[in-house]
Amino acid sequence: MKPFRKELFVGAAISFLALTASAAFAETPKDQLVIGTSLAQVLSLDPQQATEGKANEIMCNLYDRLVLATPEGKIAPQLAESWAIDDKGITFKLREAAFASGNPVTSRDVVFSLTRLLKMNQAAAANLKRVGYNADNVEKLVTAPDEHTVRIDLSGEVTPELLLYRLAMVTTSIVDSIEVEKHVKDNDYGNAWLRTNSAGSGPFTLNRWTPNEIVILDVNKDYVGGEPKMRRVVVRHVPESQVERLMLERGDIDIASALSASDLATFQNKQGFKIQRIPTGGFYVLSMNAGNQYLANPKVREAIAYGIDYAGIEKTIMGPYGRVRTVPVPENYEYAIPSPDWHLDIEKAKSLLAEAGFKDGFSLSLKTIAQTPRIDLATAIQASFAQIGIKVNIQQGNGSEIIAAHRARDFDLLIPQTGAYMPNVLGSMEQFSSNPDNSKEANNAGNFVWRSAWDIPELTKLTAKASLEPDAKKRGDIYVEMQKMFVDLKPAVLPLFERYEPIVQNARVQNYIGHPNMTTRLEGVTKAETE
Amino acid sequence: MKELSANELGKRVLQLIISLFILLCVTFVIGRVMPADPVGAVVGELADPAAYAAMRTRLGLDLPLYQQFFIYLASLLQGDFGTAILTGNPVSKDLAQAFPATFELATLAVIISTFIGVPLGLAAALFRDSWIDKTARVVALVGHSIPVFWFGIVGLVIFYAGLNWVGGPGRVDVYYEGIVTPRTGLMLVDSLLEGEPEIFWNALSHIILPAIILAYAAMAYITRMTRSFTLEQLNQDYVIAARAKGVGPANTVIGHVLPNIAVQLITVLAISYGNLLEGAVVTEIVFSWPGIGQYMTNALMIGDMNAILAATIIVGFIFMFLNFAADIAYALLDPRTREATQ
Repeated sequence: MKPFRKELFVGAAISFLALTASAAFAETPKDQLVIGTSLAQVLSLDPQQATEGKANEIMCNLYDRLVLATPEGKIAPQLAESWAIDDKGITFKLREAAFASGNPVTSRDVVFSLTRLLKMNQAAAANLKRVGYNADNVEKLVTAPDEHTVRIDLSGEVTPELLLYRLAMVTTSIVDSIEVEKHVKDNDYGNAWLRTNSAGSGPFTLNRWTPNEIVILDVNKDYVGGEPKMRRVVVRHVPESQVERLMLERGDIDIASALSASDLATFQNKQGFKIQRIPTGGFYVLSMNAGNQYLANPKVREAIAYGIDYAGIEKTIMGPYGRVRTVPVPENYEYAIPSPDWHLDIEKAKSLLAEAGFKDGFSLSLKTIAQTPRIDLATAIQASFAQIGIKVNIQQGNGSEIIAAHRARDFDLLIPQTGAYMPNVLGSMEQFSSNPDNSKEANNAGNFVWRSAWDIPELTKLTAKASLEPDAKKRGDIYVEMQKMFVDLKPAVLPLFERYEPIVQNARVQNYIGHPNMTTRLEGVTKAETE
Repeated sequence: MKELSANELGKRVLQLIISLFILLCVTFVIGRVMPADPVGAVVGELADPAAYAAMRTRLGLDLPLYQQFFIYLASLLQGDFGTAILTGNPVSKDLAQAFPATFELATLAVIISTFIGVPLGLAAALFRDSWIDKTARVVALVGHSIPVFWFGIVGLVIFYAGLNWVGGPGRVDVYYEGIVTPRTGLMLVDSLLEGEPEIFWNALSHIILPAIILAYAAMAYITRMTRSFTLEQLNQDYVIAARAKGVGPANTVIGHVLPNIAVQLITVLAISYGNLLEGAVVTEIVFSWPGIGQYMTNALMIGDMNAILAATIIVGFIFMFLNFAADIAYALLDPRTREATQ
């Protein structure tokens, strides 16, 4: 049966109104920024715990880090005024700054924060742990020679340049140690308290967070960079895309993210609104479980790569969300190689399946989060696979269900998405090219490749080598080699589309510059008078 | 009719407790076999197995199912609903925050549906098969068959985005959020207590559309029931006698019929009220209304069992309690019962 198309009715109603009603529009106050989005994934606002994108967007305005990565991908100073790199590590000089509580920011706070991150050992610690920092060595490697100096020794598994990018991530935010220590309970490093409170030196402080409802930020008047223009920032949870669209049209919110493709399209060329398409450096991916009898065969995976209508999907489904790319490195990054010649070729895919010994095809399940655009992507894949003889049974679920299945290797095919933590080959590719131990016992569910049971010892070694190569040119050569090897192996984690985060904003909002790592800072945002 | 003795009352209370217990068991089992992964939700997608296992133990999810149930039951009997994964708050605190929003919405909805549904049902019965009756039946049928979700969105498109008559999603305009300190949790009341009439009007403009939409479905039921109760009475001798004596239709209804169907109506209204409190889920999603329905939905999404169980018990309890109260009212107020006990 055809599903009930509520969009049709709503569309008709909107058209009717466009003809008959002349609406008076509300508008938000000039000194408040109001954002509508989905807050469903925000489970904590403790920077050393939360890793989800929306939480990052909020936390990056509450906290500063030693350094930041600009939207263009360059490292710039934040709390660190300057730094010096030597063979063994990096020495940071801190600027004169204060936390919202009034306490000065000192090197003690930096050591406290990084130690806290690794000792709490939650998902947020993954990026530092991956390059050799852990709860046991952090106190040795991160030290405070004096109140305004921080020394971070290299772990031996990362170059200083690449370490700086990791220190630009929200998870390494500097928290107010005096304030947090006041709220430690049962050795929880103040986690229970910091989940719902803020103790940072950023341009805003947390007034209120009610999960799945609202986040209110108040201005930090004493912010070291000068008092921001926005007195408050209100982030409202609006789970329904159509409702969010109406609120933006009515002027009740200034910025809308998490809009569906069709709702986004209505703002194309609409007066008074601007669309930003923010690149993430990440991808929409087709994960294949190499533990599956069919998918273990590289020929089958190659057949699959030829069984997807990339161009058609890009045109009809992805739209503002993505563009075709089958190497896990955005096309415009330095050292990115061109995508291989994978395109929809039914005959070739069929012959590859026959070569693999599966002339008559087989059936697979495909799990996906029931969300735009992934669910439509799944349907399109199902249709083209049917033509090459692979019968696909789609199973949709909510975020936690699908992620749980992914972590447990409980799937045949699954559509996850990724993001990049730095704008270079390693930043976007690392999670596709490293799987130190593929055994089931390793249970390395935090590793993206492990979840697909794809054993790639050579590629893993090469990735580690790139991470340690200090010479940029040589590192670039390794980057190229990594990508070629990735393609040759017929990946079980097949990137399909480079991922973008589209947002729509009221044209009154100025200086809102979407950040690829979802760390958009709001201190420079202003609002124009209504025209 | 039944006589309301202490014995009978005791039996009813026992029934209520048993029903609640069964509800608890069923919800617990369903919740535990759900494929959601609360641990993953807490520690994050990239957490390593050690962190994952530690959190699993901390949440008590490594224990056998029956043990988890007994632990839960034991703390429940001490009035402890546990801690919600999503918010990190005690569930009771979360519910105390979410419930007033739903209560405010449902109460307004029941008032609206009563004030429209009862007169409409009376008129429909009184002018049986006339255009009034037919209109009432169509209105009731539509209210019964159109999905609330669709109704909500279309309502927003027309009255909020198009005509600008009402406020949008949420309890007040977003930039008013956080200004009124919650005292009762009821935005209409709190804004007045704080001396913020502007916010009161803003809140009223926000609640009116979801309340009407929620009320519509309930109104359909109330209209239908009122109509059928009234029709039943209209054939009774006392009404025929009154009409023969020359009493006008309005006076017949108000003076004779209404008192006689009042008790039955109380039951219908109580059931509707229960339904409204429980059925606000979809309305709350469409209107971003931070009530118990939305709280439950979010909890379900991540498998936050303590939150799901507590919310189910509360809603279940209210629903059963309203039924129970209606039954008691029935027994106490029904004239025939009164005569039997005197």
